[in-house]
Amino acid sequence: MKVDLTTRLAGLQLKNPVLTASGTFGFGEEYARFYDLALLGGITVKGITLEPRIGNPVPRIAETPSGILNAVGLENPGLEAFLSTYLPRLEKLKTAVIVNISGFSLEEYAKLAAALPENSCIAALEVNISCPNIKDGGMAFGTDPQSAGEVLAVTRKQTKLPLIAKLSPNVTDIVAIAKAVEENGADIISLINTLLGMRIDLDRGRPLLANTMGGLSGPAVRPVAVRMVYQVYQAVRLPIIGMGGISCWQDAVEFMLAGASAVSVGTANFINPLAPLEIINGLEAYCRQKGYHSVKELVGLAHRKEEPFDEEKR
Amino acid sequence: MLSQEKIICHRLLDPRYGLYQLVLRGKIAATAQPGQFVHLKVGATTDPLLRRPLSIARIDRARGEITLFYRVVGRGTALLTDVKEQESLNVLGPLGKGFTKPAEGELLLVAGGIGIFPLFSLLEAVDRSRVKVKVMWGGENRQFLESAGLPILRELGVEYEAATLDGSLGQKGLVTALLESSLHRTRTSQEMHHSAVAGAGPKDSVLQVAACGPRGMLKAVTEICCRQGVPVEVCLEERMACGVGACLGCVCTVKTATGHKRRRVCAEGPVFDGREVVWDEG
Ligand SMILES: Cc1cc2nc3c(=O)[nH]c(=O)nc-3n(C[C@H](O)[C@H](O)[C@H](O)COP(=O)(O)O)c2cc1C
Ligand code: FES
Repeated sequence: MKVDLTTRLAGLQLKNPVLTASGTFGFGEEYARFYDLALLGGITVKGITLEPRIGNPVPRIAETPSGILNAVGLENPGLEAFLSTYLPRLEKLKTAVIVNISGFSLEEYAKLAAALPENSCIAALEVNISCPNIKDGGMAFGTDPQSAGEVLAVTRKQTKLPLIAKLSPNVTDIVAIAKAVEENGADIISLINTLLGMRIDLDRGRPLLANTMGGLSGPAVRPVAVRMVYQVYQAVRLPIIGMGGISCWQDAVEFMLAGASAVSVGTANFINPLAPLEIINGLEAYCRQKGYHSVKELVGLAHRKEEPFDEEKR
Repeated sequence: MLSQEKIICHRLLDPRYGLYQLVLRGKIAATAQPGQFVHLKVGATTDPLLRRPLSIARIDRARGEITLFYRVVGRGTALLTDVKEQESLNVLGPLGKGFTKPAEGELLLVAGGIGIFPLFSLLEAVDRSRVKVKVMWGGENRQFLESAGLPILRELGVEYEAATLDGSLGQKGLVTALLESSLHRTRTSQEMHHSAVAGAGPKDSVLQVAACGPRGMLKAVTEICCRQGVPVEVCLEERMACGVGACLGCVCTVKTATGHKRRRVCAEGPVFDGREVVWDEG
């Protein structure tokens, strides 16, 4: 039996539902040494800003139980260098490219959206309103429904590319934010970005990260992410890209059952560069075993009211 | 790049300092260069989550083997001590950009503590019939240096000078003091030589320094070398996540014509031109 892996998220058409997460995959080239990126549903590149950013001092990484804290601080070459240097190279990778954008003001988000070409390998823009690692802006937009909506509204005016709103988990009510971005022109919702956390070095008696606080990712955050995907799926009609700790196909299935139409693999790349490929293969095998003709059939299954899974009936 | 390497030898060198030797056989030895490193998966679970970077200390292409040395410093390296000979390890590598290998002249290797490990690979890679190699190595005391590799230096028959904090071997104090007086001596004798033969003698033999050790020591080594006009390469260490240049977790700062720039220690390094590194950052 052939399983249909193709996935459609509003205007974003993917050959399969497995993407890589922004900030964990550079501009693709590092992992293109391990496998052909055309095998992926697509890649999300490092968050870019209008101006180049040198990012935070080191240490930027701290390990935690089944997770990591990072405080990279959005180091990136800036819009201009992205367009002149990185975009032509991305074009050669023959995969759907999602460009993650961050602004410090509404104007910056608008300028970024306007400058990114609609007729290139760029398949969608992911509007990052959730970066915890920069002093002002970033996460502030994503923690208040009104400003989250404003960012999406100004961005929407500048581009016809599908817009993905990337939500922050550092909020009391994720549903309120999801509804706000839905009402203001987002086509897709992705979640979660990292959870704000910190560690203290016992020898020095000081915060371990130079930036004091950082964003938690990896398997440790997965239950939080699954819960948020589940809640958002119930409340909005937009397709969801689920992420947060996905390391194997079982994790991906869990997100899809919760309501994600596609998934992103982040921190897991650092441990197993082949994780995204293994997840694609595992998803396919799981669907075949369960008798699903398409991965789409998994999406949101955990919400149904009738009797739970019964393998015998399939 | 991603390889299952067979563990040929894994042994405790010194319980007091938690020093181990690990020999791996597989694909990595074929392309490994001195100064490069490998990123090891140390356990089967997600805690600890990340791989551990270890520099490649010896490369034996004929046997397809690399040797790593490590000191137990945290949970990751503690877990690594459990792996058994004949088992295999999941290894990413060889990674990073290593040392420049001089073809002639003089090479001075300056190590602080376990910073000697990556320098072994450079020492073995240079053609010592054409390059005069000397090692300067500082450590806590005689026992540490004996356990961490003095036998290798003797086996290779390389000239070395030691410095120990307690004076139990070599000069008492820091390796930087050895370096300073040695470069000073070289400089003075060259000047004397020059004035005696009025430039008619052999060309100055080109001297270069390669150093690895704690950051403070590398900074001091670089300052001494700059003062004497000697080129210096340093092997840096930083906390790593991906190890392949994708996460920007491991950067250092360098001076360039267009101002200070970040460089990824795992990708553009771990070896950098010491003169380019910005040692003091706010
Ligand atoms: C080192 C690092 C850098 C990141 N940089 C970005 C970024 O630039 N923009 C963004 O939207 N998310 C960024 N993220 C968040 C990830 O895209 C992802 O949302 C988060 O890590 C959760 O997924 P994971 O547990 O699979 O890593 C970063 C995460 C890590 C670990
Ligand atoms: S460890 Fe990821 S860029 Fe160096």
